[in-house]
Amino acid sequence: MAETRLGRWRRTRRYLPGAVLLAPALVVMTLMFFVPMITSLIYSFGDYSGIGPFTWVGLDNYTEILVDPRFQQAWANTAVFAVITMTVGPLLGLVTALMLNNRIPGRTFFRAVFFVPVTASLVVVSTLWKPLLNERGLLNDVLQLIGLERHDWLSDPSTALVAVSAASIWQGFGFETVVFLAALQTIPADLMESARMDGAGPWQRFLAVTLPSLRPTLLFVFVVGMIGAFQAFDQVYVMTGGGPVGSTTTVVFYLVERFRSLDLGHASAAAYLLVAVLVVISAIQFRIARTR
Amino acid sequence: MIRRRRLGLAMLWVVLAASSVIMLVPWFWTVTTSLTPAAEVFSGNLLPNPPTLEAYAQVLTLIPFGGYFLNSVVVTVTVVVLNVVFDTCAAYALAKLPLPGRGVIMIVLLTTLMIPMQVNIIPLYRMMVNVHNAVPWLGADTLSGIIAPSAVQVLGIFLMRQFFVSVPDSILEAARLDGAGEWSILRRVVLPISWPAIATLVIFTGLAAWNDFLWPLIVTGSDASRTLPVGLALLSKKNTVNWSETMAGTVLTALPMIVLFVILQRRFIEGLTAGSVKE
Repeated sequence: MAETRLGRWRRTRRYLPGAVLLAPALVVMTLMFFVPMITSLIYSFGDYSGIGPFTWVGLDNYTEILVDPRFQQAWANTAVFAVITMTVGPLLGLVTALMLNNRIPGRTFFRAVFFVPVTASLVVVSTLWKPLLNERGLLNDVLQLIGLERHDWLSDPSTALVAVSAASIWQGFGFETVVFLAALQTIPADLMESARMDGAGPWQRFLAVTLPSLRPTLLFVFVVGMIGAFQAFDQVYVMTGGGPVGSTTTVVFYLVERFRSLDLGHASAAAYLLVAVLVVISAIQFRIARTR
Repeated sequence: MIRRRRLGLAMLWVVLAASSVIMLVPWFWTVTTSLTPAAEVFSGNLLPNPPTLEAYAQVLTLIPFGGYFLNSVVVTVTVVVLNVVFDTCAAYALAKLPLPGRGVIMIVLLTTLMIPMQVNIIPLYRMMVNVHNAVPWLGADTLSGIIAPSAVQVLGIFLMRQFFVSVPDSILEAARLDGAGEWSILRRVVLPISWPAIATLVIFTGLAAWNDFLWPLIVTGSDASRTLPVGLALLSKKNTVNWSETMAGTVLTALPMIVLFVILQRRFIEGLTAGSVKE
């Protein structure tokens, strides 16, 4: 009896240092992540303003926002934004990385130039792109110079979303450049060399050696990028405020608007629908990466 | 063959230089506009003549820039320190110390990476308001309210764990045989070799805290607690006529990070791409 107690004490003591080191992080995570996460799941099933009483409404919040045309438009806008930014962004990143993966004078400078907007935050970049896209702005000066017509990009519902996407790409693709460049530099030189010896041209070498080596990096870029794209908010808040006529309202923008009008139930339901979509998208991407 | 390659590289250089111009012109325009009198913006002149610092003086009277800046610094430094302490300790425990259920904890932490912050902001905001009502100098509309949700970051734990796993057990065993306790092993043996990983963690969490927008926007309600991005966004929404002032605010907001980036370029890039290249 005494021995098992001693044994238990020994085991506990063995676990003690690890438990003491891990506990603070777990306590903070519980308070700041797990508790809010479960609370908002409960909110999503209720009618709640944050101050008054909480009334259980079951799935009503979900069914109501799903038929709300503004929410549907927000999803469409978010999807368009995600598709534009996640095709053009990684493509620009890959092309610039391939160019920088050569012995070229000023390479570090070029890399820095592409990367600076990434460090400067979306709020800064959105603030400075707003006047650039203005009808009297620099972009239109350039367009006029080459004989095209001036256009107020952010005030036209048919171009605002594309303009916001373009500014986001300008801000973010440098991240992909640097990630792809780091991956390209891990490809062994003799692998390239032996492909060259086998008579493979540049395009064949790219398809046979470079692209397969980049697979884990591509997965990383798309998973992280998609999650980021579906959470787009900062650029919309600064550049357009969701307009004109809802043409740039994203899912998160819609969620925050609902929250600010003290409709916590619908806002939480929107948040959980976003989680569901993100989990599905990530799972699909992991599946694609594994089967190929 | 060699000549063809040279020509190819020269063309590449031209393309890179041209794209650099596209990347630099918006910055250039921002700076020159901030130095142009408001009435002359969009007048078609590329350079202000003569340049004036009027917009800077003006923007400093419009919004409490110094206060925002100080708030941003305090938030960023605190978030970084808390993450270095919490994430490092947790990661070390998860990588090197005996713990029941270590695998389960790792999986639970991994799945949290898929949950966007937006799910938590609503209850978090309610929580911060309640804390603020109980203790006036904590919670909503204080810096502590901005900081608390970022105090521990799962990505930071993973980053550090990945590093600790690569530390050979034999070093730790040797120290244990010398009679060192676990705490002093961490402090005297492990931490001294961990600085590169910690530097990455500092940059990664610091930049995220400095640029964070949605949560600080929601949890702050007065200038006393606003950070730079929130202040700049409010300025740019409020001030849609005077572009010189808004651009002066943009320069002031962007400058500290850009300067830091230019000085620590390699570290920045390592810090932000950590975890992207699979080991």
